[in-house]
Order: sequence, then structure tokens, then C-alpha cells
Amino acid sequence: MRKVARLATVNSQVRCESLNVMEPLDSRGVNPGPGQGPSVRSGEARGGHLGFVAHEIRNPLSTALWTAELLARMSMEERGGARGEKLSAMCLRSVARVRQLIEDHFLSERLDIGGLPLRVEAIGVKEAVEAVIERRPSDAGPASSSQLDASLGVEADRTLLERAVESLVAVAGSERTPVVVTARATEREVELSFAGRPVDAAALEDPLKGAPSDPTGRALAMPLARRIATALGGALAAGEGGWRLTLPRARAYTARPTSAARP
Amino acid sequence: MNSPLVLVVDDDPDILDAICDILEAEGYRVSRARHGREALDQIDGERPDVILLDLMMPVMDGVAFAQALRLRPAVRDIPIVVISADGNPQRAASVGAIGYLAKPFDIEALLAQVAGITRPGAGAAPPRG
Repeated sequence: MRKVARLATVNSQVRCESLNVMEPLDSRGVNPGPGQGPSVRSGEARGGHLGFVAHEIRNPLSTALWTAELLARMSMEERGGARGEKLSAMCLRSVARVRQLIEDHFLSERLDIGGLPLRVEAIGVKEAVEAVIERRPSDAGPASSSQLDASLGVEADRTLLERAVESLVAVAGSERTPVVVTARATEREVELSFAGRPVDAAALEDPLKGAPSDPTGRALAMPLARRIATALGGALAAGEGGWRLTLPRARAYTARPTSAARP
Repeated sequence: MNSPLVLVVDDDPDILDAICDILEAEGYRVSRARHGREALDQIDGERPDVILLDLMMPVMDGVAFAQALRLRPAVRDIPIVVISADGNPQRAASVGAIGYLAKPFDIEALLAQVAGITRPGAGAAPPRG
């Protein structure tokens, strides 16, 4: 059964030390609002984070503007040469970085503010992870979902779930590190684990001005994934083996038949 | 006579490539470094005529690099132009820079700064070999 919910009604929860121990924030006397972590509570931290976002965008924006201008100054013949091709590739790469940062930033903002319509439904985790992996750029490193159970489902908004999975696979698999996605479940929750590059729990916080840049444009991926997890009634945490995304389990999920199984 | 040598220091590989391309197309020689430590190594090899310096970098940031440079008598007077996306010109003054370019700056502004330092009185006219 499909449910349409609004973000403002999603019950915020905090991740506790062990799986399947999730405590509503309200019971702890804390209610920071949907998707908001500690780092966005004060104006100073907020300003520092926006300063970081501006800095992150200005670098690829600079490259995009310069290379576009250089290409505009070239003749058609020069543009088809080695330098033209190099500048074109740099321009496209830089615009893609800007686009990624803007999309991550504004989705995070909408999740913070609330009111984002969610279409919650039962979704197979294997199906969702595989959809993300299939869309990975050809030059990205390998990612595996072969250990996922096809019968395991979560209650989630598909678009947000795939954005969170994409962010986590990108971060765990940066610098072409192989990523392995696994899952385990309790009666109420599914925990997806993304193992790849070593985990740094500080990456969950909103980066502030002065924090190191990410030349791939994914500096906002982890804060976005954290907000999505909260918005979906789950949590994101750093574990020993990788990033752990916990979401409510879909009790009524039935795996879609594979093409081989169809008559 | 050699063209002026410009050392570009930035941790963003595309920024490095783009600025070096712009300068080389105008006839400058360029060397590049991804952080302050690499920049100090570059300077040990050949003294640049001007340094274009980003501030926020891993390993050794722009402030630490400038401090280390000023401790080396043979190279302490190399002019520095800060190229930064942090939008804070005061930080350029703090490292003793003689110029500041806020990303994203215009190509012509970059060329004017470099020409003004390497060819005093020549304005933005490029060296072209």
C-alpha cells in the first residue's frame, strides 16, 4: 500500500549504539526539526556551512567560466584540436561538479525546512541499490550488491532512498575504491552497510568554511544522506565496516519477479 | 631570455590545469603545486617570478606556505598573489600578498595582475615568449 506523507510528519529518530534500538527524539526532550543535525542549529555554524558551500561551488564555477571563455575565443578548427578537447572536457566536468553541489545543497535545504512531499512505499533494497549501481559513471570503481537479499524491503520514498544510496556509494567508492553493499534486518528495521574507503564519522556533520574541499564535487554527499535518513524515519551512522543506513522495514514487501522468472 | 616563470599553487586539479593553460597560452612558463609543501619543493628547483597561491589546501595551506617562504632569505621577496574562493581579501594581506583575486575572477584580471608584476609598466600586455 502506498502512503503519501509530508516530511513534517516524519518521526525524527536518533541512532543508538546497537541495531534496532531507535529512540524518538521527543522522548529525549530534543526536537531539532526534520533533518537538522547539531551543526545547523546555531547561526554561526549555519553561516560557516554556507561559506563552505559557496567556496565549494566557486572553484568548479571558476574552471567552467574560464574554459568556456577560452573555447569561445578559439576558432572552430582550434576547438577540434587537442587543447580544445581538453578544455571542453574540463568545462563539462566542472559544470557537472557545480550541478552536483547545487542539487545536494538545495535538497538538503528543503529537507531542513520541511514540507517536502514524500511518497512512501515498500521498496526492495536490492532493486534500489542495483538501480543506483547501474547508473554509476563508467570510470567509477566497482560496486557490488550481490550479497543483498531480494526479498528485503524498506518503507521509503524511492527518489530520496536512491539519492541516499547514490551518495553513500559515491563516498565509500571515491578514488575507485571497490564498494560492497550488504544488509541485515530485524523485525522492524533494515540496516544497509556500505563498505569501501575508511569511514570518518566527522563526515556526517555539515562541513564548515575552512574544511578540505572535495575535487569530485561530493563534499555535501554525507550531510545530504544523513538528512535523507532522518526524513525517512531512519538514521545514518559510521560503523567499523562502513557507513550504516538504517530504515524502517517494509513488512508487506514482495520482491518483483525477475525477467528470467516471468512466463 | 626566458619568459617569466609563474608558480601556481592550488589543490583543485582543474583550477591548476585551467590557470596553467591560460598563462601558457599567453607565453608564460608555469610550474604547479597541489599544496604548500610541493610549492616549497618547486621553489628549491627554480625561483619563480610570481606565485599564484590558493589559501585552503591540504598538507600545507597557503598561510603556512607564506610563513615558510618568508623564512628563506633567497626567496622571501617573491611576490605572491592570492587566488581564493573564500571571499576574504583580508586573508591575502595576512600572508603578505601584493594582490588578491577572488574566484571566479576574470581571465583578463589574472593576466593584468601577472603582467603587472613580471613586466612592470607593461600593463596587461602578455610576454609571448
